[in-house]
Amino acid sequence: MRRASLAALVLLTACAVPLDPPPPGEPDGAGPPRAGGVLRGASPEDPRTLDPARGYDTVSWAIEQMLFNTLVDYDAGTTIVPELAESWTMSDDGRLVTFTLRHDVRFSTRRAFTAADVKYSMERLLKPSIHSQGAEFFHGIEGAEDYVAGKATEVSGIRTPAPDRVEFRLTEVDPLFLHKLTMPFAAVVDRDTVERVGDDDFTRYPVGTGAFVLEEWTYGQRLKLARNPDYFRPGRPYLDGVEETIGVSAQLAWFKYQRGELDLAGIPPAEYERVRADARYQPLLLSRTTLRTQYLGLNCALWPFDHVAVRQAMNLAIDKQRLIDLIDGQGVIANTILPPDMPGAEPVPGYAHDPAAARRKLEEAGLAGGFETTLWTYRDPEVSLRLAQSIQRDLQAIGIALDLKPVDFPALIEAVRHEGTVPVFLLGWEADFPDPSNFLTVLLHSRSRDTNNNTFYANPVVDRLLDEGAPLLDLDRRFRLFHEAEVLIMQDAPWVPLFHPAGSAVRHPRVRDYELHPLRPSRLENTWLAW
Amino acid sequence: MAETTVVGLGSAARSRRFFLVGAIMVGALVLAAAAAPWLTPYDPDAIVVMAYRGPLGPGNGHLFGTDTVGRDVWARVLYGARTSLFVGTLAMAISLVIGMAIGLAAGYFGGLVDAVLMWVVDLFLTMPSLLLLIVLATVLPPSIFTIPLVIGLLGWTTFGRTVRGEVLTLRERDYVQAARALGATDARIIVRHLVPGVLPGVIVLAALGMSGAIIVDAGLSYLGLGVPLPTPSWGRMVSDAQTYVGVAPWLVVAPGVAIALAVVGLNLIGYGLIDLLAERRA
Repeated sequence: MRRASLAALVLLTACAVPLDPPPPGEPDGAGPPRAGGVLRGASPEDPRTLDPARGYDTVSWAIEQMLFNTLVDYDAGTTIVPELAESWTMSDDGRLVTFTLRHDVRFSTRRAFTAADVKYSMERLLKPSIHSQGAEFFHGIEGAEDYVAGKATEVSGIRTPAPDRVEFRLTEVDPLFLHKLTMPFAAVVDRDTVERVGDDDFTRYPVGTGAFVLEEWTYGQRLKLARNPDYFRPGRPYLDGVEETIGVSAQLAWFKYQRGELDLAGIPPAEYERVRADARYQPLLLSRTTLRTQYLGLNCALWPFDHVAVRQAMNLAIDKQRLIDLIDGQGVIANTILPPDMPGAEPVPGYAHDPAAARRKLEEAGLAGGFETTLWTYRDPEVSLRLAQSIQRDLQAIGIALDLKPVDFPALIEAVRHEGTVPVFLLGWEADFPDPSNFLTVLLHSRSRDTNNNTFYANPVVDRLLDEGAPLLDLDRRFRLFHEAEVLIMQDAPWVPLFHPAGSAVRHPRVRDYELHPLRPSRLENTWLAW
Repeated sequence: MAETTVVGLGSAARSRRFFLVGAIMVGALVLAAAAAPWLTPYDPDAIVVMAYRGPLGPGNGHLFGTDTVGRDVWARVLYGARTSLFVGTLAMAISLVIGMAIGLAAGYFGGLVDAVLMWVVDLFLTMPSLLLLIVLATVLPPSIFTIPLVIGLLGWTTFGRTVRGEVLTLRERDYVQAARALGATDARIIVRHLVPGVLPGVIVLAALGMSGAIIVDAGLSYLGLGVPLPTPSWGRMVSDAQTYVGVAPWLVVAPGVAIALAVVGLNLIGYGLIDLLAERRA
């Protein structure tokens, strides 16, 4: 047996495959941006839709953002900048937002864009027959409820006093309103096309004002975008087009990238460490922290996690540095709920990795002998199950026997919503808006227990702080209240925040000025190809 | 687990040689499983690397390197032998008991009993077994007993049919007729006269059935439905490491070779036995 394994050992060492080089070419270099060329990407599946009223996933959003525009958008970070709007003002009571629109914007059908198109697009989004998941974000516009209920033929709170002016009147102050308008849900669509092809076919004939137009979409094969020559930003986009090959798995995309057949690709987890360590790849590697937190949710309604000491013990027991190691350093340790890039995020007293203290906490809860519980996790062997096994090991060290229950992602999302079902789960949350409420209120307010508060955590003091902060436009006061709430939540410990993951990708050396965005899929308006 | 016609390997000398090689391979695995704690200093579930920087290659105290969680692969292969042999043995035993009971009853009583039981066998054979395995393995609570139970409950048809066939000829033999004439009860005839008669064939099937069960277990584990994590299982090790095949081939090769060893070894034993037992009977 020993000799056999020695022979095997020689065989094994011999067959490790060296990392192939990236596509050849100078990765950087001076010179003005060059216009022209088609950027080649790949995707495992078709976008679910290209109708901006209906898409709510990153694959759909990535394409929609190139075809459509919104009144406002984010800069490279999380600051709101004008897009179709030239400027905007907000009334003193915060309930009237007025946008002045650009005059030089045309739809790709060459028709000029006006305020009526904004009103039309918003009313289309709110129309019940569209079944948009994004509609509820805009129910705070005056008259929206009546319109949705069929009691009005238009949304009275959206007014167009002039072709270049649009006003939104809100039922109450909504500090997130501008953020909501950056979502592709609020994109401006071409009314003529919608009326010609109908709401349901608009996904196949998506016409907007964006930097690109849809040239071809053959389901399951390819999706081609061509440059919009009438785009309102002069000289943009640089690219002649974008071609997305569909049906390409992540692994295959990686091989195609290495062969120079793709301009952008993700890095398979198995390869990440080698890629990062390889000097040839370093200039081509893109990485950026996102507004995400990966966490263990502890069901506060179920024994033994109804004891705060047990939840604190869980926080103390887990070695987060090892989790970071397991994801090849693609992220930072989370000691708070809010990601560090979140506006208003401040350090919160957290929990260090201290198994001895964890054991004392268990004793305090009368559970010195440990207990048995079940962790529900996404059944993805590449990441989730590796993390879960590391956590399992950490908890075993303090006497907690953790069974793993790997399930499909939709099943996981569904199961955690049922109060008595899931004791512990491993999930992540990505912010829709760069505002603390998008984590704290959405995930931890007692009112959210039938939607996204899957730990069933409820603390009246926290609720009050969150409610008090919600309508505040004064960011200092707003953030202070949310911070106080976060401190309390961390003491109550319904979560074990694990890490804030980073996004990563590689580019072909010819791809220039391509950036990852902390909140949204990347846009390709400023991206160009050096050859 | 399709029906197979069991044919020997030709000459007795060859059979003996094959049997011996198979016995050595399987013996080595059994020994490895039993002596695992002495063959490796590592706990198979323990994370042994100080700071994970990808799977470590073979060497540096880790014969087969470390895996994608930072555990010792050699330890997991050794302890995985326990899992595989346990699953294989238990599944085979369950199949054997059910198959023998049904085969003996059908063959001995004949008539309506035979017709009904064979109809049950046909029913099981028409079901897409892998699909059914997946459904059962998903529905039942995961544990080290679930998988062999499921495999065993679905894998007994070969035993049943073969035993029935044997019994059909055995029950017409003079000694069985004589026992019956002397007033022996059905139970006594079955236990004392028929069971010993079908045993040689069953032993062959048992060896082949066990290798089949190990393959099915590996397949289910590969689909993520095997024994619960972190219990080491060869199929699971292969599946978890598949995307690392270019980066860390040892992660796939080590458990893969172990599966091959077990299956080839058990098959050699089974096929070797056919001729050896035939020889003895002749």
